[in-house]
Amino acid sequence: MKKIYKTLRFSVLTLFALVTVQTTTFAQEEAAADTTVMEKPVDKPVRPAFESGLLFDAATTTMYSAKTLEFVLQHRFGIIDTKDDNFDLAGIYGAANIRIGLNYSLTKKLMIGAGTMKFNKMTDAQLKYNVIEQTRSNSIPVTVVLYEVIGIDGSKETKWDQNPAADGSSTYKFSNRMSYYTQLLVSRRFNDQFSLQAGGAFTHYNRVDSVYNHDRVSVSFAGRYKFSPQMSIVLSGDFPLDIKSLYDFKKDPTATTVVYDKPNLCAGIEIATSSHAFHIYVASAQGILPQESTMWNKNDFFNGGILIGFNMTRLWNF
Amino acid sequence: MKSSIKLIAIICTAIIFVTANMAMAQKAGGPWTIPAKYKAMKSTVKAGDASINTVGKETYNKHCKSCHGTKGLGDGPKAANLKTSTGDFSTAKFHANSDGDLYYMSFIGRDEMPNFEKKITDEADRWAVIGYIRTMKK
Repeated sequence: MKKIYKTLRFSVLTLFALVTVQTTTFAQEEAAADTTVMEKPVDKPVRPAFESGLLFDAATTTMYSAKTLEFVLQHRFGIIDTKDDNFDLAGIYGAANIRIGLNYSLTKKLMIGAGTMKFNKMTDAQLKYNVIEQTRSNSIPVTVVLYEVIGIDGSKETKWDQNPAADGSSTYKFSNRMSYYTQLLVSRRFNDQFSLQAGGAFTHYNRVDSVYNHDRVSVSFAGRYKFSPQMSIVLSGDFPLDIKSLYDFKKDPTATTVVYDKPNLCAGIEIATSSHAFHIYVASAQGILPQESTMWNKNDFFNGGILIGFNMTRLWNF
Repeated sequence: MKSSIKLIAIICTAIIFVTANMAMAQKAGGPWTIPAKYKAMKSTVKAGDASINTVGKETYNKHCKSCHGTKGLGDGPKAANLKTSTGDFSTAKFHANSDGDLYYMSFIGRDEMPNFEKKITDEADRWAVIGYIRTMKK
């Protein structure tokens, strides 16, 4: 709104100045009019709100220069089992999930990526687009980014063929494998140390078991505090919302269905160098891909549902 | 006879050891060929500007310290892996280079010295780094 007002004011003043010049051109003895045109000051974008484009399992609003290739390795160990007879070295001996991916910045505003994950052998395609960028003069107070992840479940067809048609034929279709996560992110860099980010997301799975919903809306919050030139504390939370209008099955209150409605809470350290970023953190979801964490997390962070995570990214500029 | 063969073996081993070490020793970088466009550049950040010890220092620590060291003495943890010596930013000879020369050497680079144009994109930030490097003079 402020930018529209400034633009309008500039246009009006320019028009006034031009009219005044035209008047003096035809006048014989009038004094020279003030033809000063108000110059628009050069406004630069702020430095990135986060050091890396990766925020544990999801994305930040940080974009890289054009022609930057980013390699991403995300690792989530198993749940930390605190029972004495199940020693698992803080989940390191447990079943781990891993994702590797590559992201490429086509322009400063657009990044595309692809990856593959161990759980469900899920392949994903990603896209991140910068809508507007926060400026140093605060004429634009926030950075807004659109983030999309399309997942393709690589499990065997029998995963979706447990309810065959009446004539016994398979009901499986390739589209059953697809899931979509669409998120709008808004961030603000308050100063060199402190940044906040918030987002809203819509998750959709093409096919789910009959006792679950296809869709889920979630909100997310993240903050980072940079306590040294290369190290930050980062906290994030992704909270699925219980919106009854999105229900597409009649929930049986007596059913013993496993409920997947827990938020994914993450807390950790980020170490950023010239070409690398490292995350060492704890989280409550094991899904890694944001739709998996949003839709299928039953781990309660405050009740034994903690997993250790490690991420690494590497950048190449071309 | 046996003892003289032993002696020859030891001497040969010593020669090979010394020669190999000399071959693997770091070489000082040769003179830079800096285009006129960069030679004419002047810093837009004055000495004593606040950005030197904030943005300049932080950017140097993130991108440069691992090779050039905390004080620019060429003793960063990655320096030993390089074939070329990373130089000494504390000497008067180094600081006799003009602003533009330092700009070219720092951000355009050559050989093992990477190009940082896409990593440090803001012009003011680049001059803040140069300003910070200037504070390393003894």
